[in-house]
Amino acid sequence: MTEVRAEMVANVWKVVAAAGDTVADGDTLVILESMKMEIPVLAEGAGTVARLAVAEGDVIQEGDLIAVIE
Amino acid sequence: MTPPGPTAGPGDTTGPGPELGDRAEVRATVTQADTALAAGSGDVPVLATPRLLALAEAAAVAAIAPRLAAGQTSVGIAARLEHRRASPVGAELEVEAELTQMDGQRLVFMFIARPADGSDQVIGAGTIERVLVDRERFLARAQTPVVDLG
Repeated sequence: MTEVRAEMVANVWKVVAAAGDTVADGDTLVILESMKMEIPVLAEGAGTVARLAVAEGDVIQEGDLIAVIE
Repeated sequence: MTPPGPTAGPGDTTGPGPELGDRAEVRATVTQADTALAAGSGDVPVLATPRLLALAEAAAVAAIAPRLAAGQTSVGIAARLEHRRASPVGAELEVEAELTQMDGQRLVFMFIARPADGSDQVIGAGTIERVLVDRERFLARAQTPVVDLG
């Protein structure tokens, strides 16, 4: 099980993956927005999205859980 | 899936991308419209600091313009500016910006503003930070409601 956490304060712009999705290494899970930029959050390994902890429009802090990949 | 980084749409040409050392210069003559009085940033009729900042941003934009892909642009995220000398109406100045740091999409420029007569005086100096974005995607995002950061 891999937890994907935020590396910065950001706004959740797009949620690309959904719980139950099968993802490959490097697939985009969500797209954050910070300092006017789009910052994709990528899966760091293949697996299944067990949980997506954010919704579009959420403001997340550094270290907040974004997703769990199993 | 959305690829990371700035993305060009279908049919867009690909630019080579900005490079360290990219530079450009803009020249301007101070008019009544450029004064602090006119800008609302002060009450004296000399070059307004926000106008100097605008010239510095314009020089930074021009420095990388030839290297951007179609559909790509840059937007300002931070600035530091020292405004050291007053410029009266009629004064001519030149503002030069150079790309001095790159960190992914983030670009840092140094700028210096001098009298256009070639003297060594420094009117202003500082840094401009901008990020590369896809123009259409950026504008679409800008339309979404502002999130309350609490």
